[in-house]
Amino acid sequence: MKVPIRALGIATFICWVILIAFIASAAYSIKDLSLGFGAPTFTAASNHELLYSLPLRIDNRGFYNLKAFNITTAYLDAGGSEVSRASTILPVIPHGENVTIFNNATLNMDSLLEKDEQYLFNDKNLKTSITIGWNFAELIPVQLSTNVTFPWGAPFYNFTLGQPSYDLFNSTHSRATVRLSFENHAVFDLDGNIRVELYDSLNSLLGESHAAFSVARSSRYADNLEFYVPLSTAPLPAAQNGHYKVFFSTSLFEYGPSVIPYG
Amino acid sequence: MVEAKKNSQSKVKNVAFRVVKATVKAVLVYLLYFFFASLLAPIFEVVSGSMGTIETFVVIFIVLMFLGDLAEHTIFQYFLGTARSLFIIAYLVLSLGEGVVSVDFENFTLTVNLTTFYMIILLLSLLDLARSVLQAVSFMSERAERSIQL
Repeated sequence: MKVPIRALGIATFICWVILIAFIASAAYSIKDLSLGFGAPTFTAASNHELLYSLPLRIDNRGFYNLKAFNITTAYLDAGGSEVSRASTILPVIPHGENVTIFNNATLNMDSLLEKDEQYLFNDKNLKTSITIGWNFAELIPVQLSTNVTFPWGAPFYNFTLGQPSYDLFNSTHSRATVRLSFENHAVFDLDGNIRVELYDSLNSLLGESHAAFSVARSSRYADNLEFYVPLSTAPLPAAQNGHYKVFFSTSLFEYGPSVIPYG
Repeated sequence: MVEAKKNSQSKVKNVAFRVVKATVKAVLVYLLYFFFASLLAPIFEVVSGSMGTIETFVVIFIVLMFLGDLAEHTIFQYFLGTARSLFIIAYLVLSLGEGVVSVDFENFTLTVNLTTFYMIILLLSLLDLARSVLQAVSFMSERAERSIQL
């Protein structure tokens, strides 16, 4: 009886020593592991998509490899519904290596504007849930998660169409002049075209005008739109109030109509 | 008379030796803990409250080990060995629960899945428990054999 008990004792002792040494070295290695986010970059991609690229720097100075390293970002709108999700997986990060991976999420502008057109006109915050996971020392699954907010700059911030001012153009048409202005708060330069339809209070189409624009980020745009209204179309009192229907067309998105009242 | 005196001297020597051995073992284990604790201090700082819990665990473990060494060659040694194994199991079950540890620091949440280690430690503790029970049975059977021989 004594020999098996002694053998069992020696075996468990060896197992304890190995286990404690492994736990201590693994915990010590976590201390030497550093993760850091770089500044996100935004680029306009094809198919009306905006590419959010989030760099993550991993410096694995520990004793063990990191297996199945993955980063998942989920972008949520103000209501909490998901607008985009992206995952990047790296099979192994050997110990002693310094690696930078890029998590690229595409944000479809058309679907974003379908949810809420205010992304076009008002600065907002996009909530982002970031989850980083890996198998530490090939045995211990570790997950690190955080929530951050990315500021969303509206491409047509403070979009304003002024009150139309009428003057007689010729014997058949009057001319309505409307002041158009906005600021591009987006992270990208904006090129495109705005089509505006002018309606009176009786919902009759008075005229249509276009404005082509090219606005760099953080810049302001202002111009006058001219509508040529046939004098026979509507009585002047009815044209003192009404609404505009605005159609936006850029390389990143198409949106419209957005109805803006006047008068 | 002389033999009784010799016997009593030998008993004192034996007890003194056990005390010294138990003390040295306890000090060595505490030093080992101290070494690892200072090595892993940055991690313990992140997990608030963990240091206190681990220290309590180590103190109770060392006390049970010290008492077990003092009670060497008696049935109490095995009782204390069993108590030590049960204490490790109870501590693990109470502190780790299902084996998934979640810690919040700054605006991050760190989740570590320790299920594999949990199972290994539980298995080793159960083996220790079984060994203590077997040792107790062996000790009692040897004593019974000796009394029959006498």
